[in-house]
Amino acid sequence: MELGYLAAGLGAGIVSLGAGLGIGMIGKAAMEGTARQPEAANDIRTSMLISAAFIEGVALFGQVICIVLALA
Amino acid sequence: MINLFRTAFLVIIILLANCTVANAETDKSPEENRVDLIGKVLDKYYLDFAPLGKVELPRIIYDEEGLHFFRSTTHAINSQRGFTDAAFLDSGQIPTGHVKPVSYELARTNGTEIKMDLSITNHLFFFWLAAFVTMGIFIPLSGKYRQGIGRTSEPKGGFQNLFETFVIFIRDDIAKSNIGEKYEKFTPYLLTVFFFILFMNLFGLMPWGVSSTADITVTAVLALFTFFFTQAYASKDHWQHIFWFPGVPTPIKFILLPVELIGLFTKPFSLCIRLFANMASGKILIFALLGLIFIFDGLFGAVVAYGTSWLWIALTLFVYLIKAFIAFIQAYVFTILSALFIGMAVEEHHHEEHAH
Repeated sequence: MELGYLAAGLGAGIVSLGAGLGIGMIGKAAMEGTARQPEAANDIRTSMLISAAFIEGVALFGQVICIVLALA
Repeated sequence: MINLFRTAFLVIIILLANCTVANAETDKSPEENRVDLIGKVLDKYYLDFAPLGKVELPRIIYDEEGLHFFRSTTHAINSQRGFTDAAFLDSGQIPTGHVKPVSYELARTNGTEIKMDLSITNHLFFFWLAAFVTMGIFIPLSGKYRQGIGRTSEPKGGFQNLFETFVIFIRDDIAKSNIGEKYEKFTPYLLTVFFFILFMNLFGLMPWGVSSTADITVTAVLALFTFFFTQAYASKDHWQHIFWFPGVPTPIKFILLPVELIGLFTKPFSLCIRLFANMASGKILIFALLGLIFIFDGLFGAVVAYGTSWLWIALTLFVYLIKAFIAFIQAYVFTILSALFIGMAVEEHHHEEHAH
């Protein structure tokens, strides 16, 4: 068995773990913010999506490396 | 009662599966059942209308003898102009007569190298299709506004109303709120990029369609557009912040210079990777979920594969709906981040020297 596949699988899992935690925390903060100040819901949603996109970007860098590992 | 039926059903499936495993092991090797997941995402030299057939796209090859044009890969191989399928060369025997392409990779029979393959691929085809759809919708629509419909009177018809909602959303919520006063100069670019990416994404959801944004070259070009656009309109402050960060001690300026320089290039890079990875992973996920049916077929036999296929098909449907959502979200994210980067670059700071 090639260890590259194992590395890619484990890496993908860990990356998803980090990204999930990060996006979960953003979602939590955004919901709390919206609950406290419902009139700011639109602004909060926009900034939430932007921060989620940044976290996702980092996670996807990791995933691309995992794909490269699996293919190499 | 229902539980009893369910248990009985499961037991029967497992029993039948055990019977079929014995048969399955003999006549199926895992290699034969392998589905090439990554191959599904790569671009191809034909439009795949499975199971109806394939429409081959024109090939343009550049090598030492100049440019070669062929109307299809089959034509290129059978044209007697020194081209053959790379798979034939690898196997060592070049078949004679009328042949069908196998790998669709062209190679010279005399062994000279092909310098550039400028062939039209299915990703490029759908890229152009999305561009034509974008132009076909918005050029007539802008003509309507030029006549005054929608400006002096109400917008006419569902079509104009639908797209006006999108356009106003992008102008107000993306351009105006992220760029600031100078938003008018950049709104056309943001609108174009949003609808172009959206149509490319949505083509991937259609039967036989391919989303060209699942190709890194497409997203890289889009990200480069944003990059050059940002730099072309950047204010003096933008460059000052990169090369000589104001308001910090001089040694820190030298530390910040490489950091800011890297930051300049990671922005378009992340734009490119984000869009590509999102669209490509959705595609891979759908194939992987459907592939589970065949993996189960190989592992436990046909009955388990049939019995559990409803689950994988339901999951595929779910992923498909998520993909439809992602198609909008990613077009939105690309546009809003482009607006954010442009806004950061064109902004003029009015800070005093001791303010930081």
